[in-house]
Amino acid sequence: MRLTPSLLSADFTRLAEEVRTVEEAGAHGLHLDVMDGHYVPNLTFGPIVVAAVRRCTDLPLDAHLMIGNAPEHIRAYAEAGADAIAVHPEAVPHLHKTIADLRALAVRPGLAINPLSPLASLEEALAAVDYAIVMSVNPGWGGQRFIEGSMDRVRQVRKIAERTNPSLEIVIDGGINASRIAAARDAGADVVVAGSAVFGAADPAAAVREMLAA
Amino acid sequence: MSSSGVYSCSCKIGPSILNGDLSCLGDECKRMMDAGADYLHLDVMDGHFVPNITFGATMVKWLRKKQPGVFFDLHMMVSEPEKWVDEMADAGANQYTFHLEATENPRDLIKQIRNRGMKVGIGIKPGTPVEKVLPYVSDVDMVLIMTVEPGFGGQKFMADMMPKVKHLRRNHPGLDIEVDGGVGLSTIATAAEAGANMIVSGSAVVKSPDPKSVITQLREITEKWIKQNAQQQTQ
Repeated sequence: MRLTPSLLSADFTRLAEEVRTVEEAGAHGLHLDVMDGHYVPNLTFGPIVVAAVRRCTDLPLDAHLMIGNAPEHIRAYAEAGADAIAVHPEAVPHLHKTIADLRALAVRPGLAINPLSPLASLEEALAAVDYAIVMSVNPGWGGQRFIEGSMDRVRQVRKIAERTNPSLEIVIDGGINASRIAAARDAGADVVVAGSAVFGAADPAAAVREMLAA
Repeated sequence: MSSSGVYSCSCKIGPSILNGDLSCLGDECKRMMDAGADYLHLDVMDGHFVPNITFGATMVKWLRKKQPGVFFDLHMMVSEPEKWVDEMADAGANQYTFHLEATENPRDLIKQIRNRGMKVGIGIKPGTPVEKVLPYVSDVDMVLIMTVEPGFGGQKFMADMMPKVKHLRRNHPGLDIEVDGGVGLSTIATAAEAGANMIVSGSAVVKSPDPKSVITQLREITEKWIKQNAQQQTQ
């Protein structure tokens, strides 16, 4: 089970230190929550912050684009140094093209799936991407409560993947803490994203180590 | 604002940290204040009003913790400026500078900003004639004349924006007039002569090996022109 802390709850005035803390504690990558205040009601950060984080670490960076015009901006995030970019299918009118554009930019394409999005209508899309983020909160804010039933959705995505895309990496994101790691693993998740559970903790390094040991 | 007709504005230097090291923004802002900056100009972009996203209220909140006494001028290059007033006020912004092009109701927005205890700035892009902002000048604390197309740092200063600054300064001697975009040591004289007193400078300060020297020079040149323009006013 891999852990990619989300910088959403980090101290934005000292990102380099926050990145170093979790990297040294064993984090496998960093999850960057890009929000534009349009697709979701929060405005976090864009390519310049992604680029700044890129300069601090060699850890894989996955940019989760919760923005209203993702296809127009994927290049900026690729050039900023994102290794993987996840888009929300509802916000992408021509998903096949956007996935192809991501691959052409040498970026791993991912699909971010909102809590009530019907999984059946995403089967084909799931076969076309490298990873899927199962959202276990409504995107937009850190520190939200885990939506019950989300582990079942992970199971369902895993079932779909077994049929159509066995190497699909499944990520769960939203309200994850150490007590949920085992359930996430059992449900078939490969990666957990944790935001406030890491950076909201008094000792983020200890929180990372605890989650890795869970 | 002055009613005596005398140019009474003082020079204020407000670096923009957009081109700084955003991985240690707290240190960058401290570096600017230690170098003699009067305030910090914070560029908020939402990827819709301009084709770039920078940061939002969360960043401002964290910065406010690190720089408790510093004046934050929030340059809101966002397409629904009404949406962020409360968050920015809660985050600790001192001034909310919205773009005239982004709102259908500047008067209501001005009221909304004042209700939250913040100063009001109105910005206009290069393509917007200065006449559009004149109806609101007496209701705001500052007018921002963009001297580049907003969206990215490091662009070249547009000297053909100076007639806008001149027009504002001539008709509103007490108004705070801010310029933003490509302002540095080679362009400050042009901006100050036209009448700008609030100087936003990005790369020229932040990327300089000696920001203190750059800020000092920007201030000296601006103050020289403030004096000169005031003398011309009283003649």
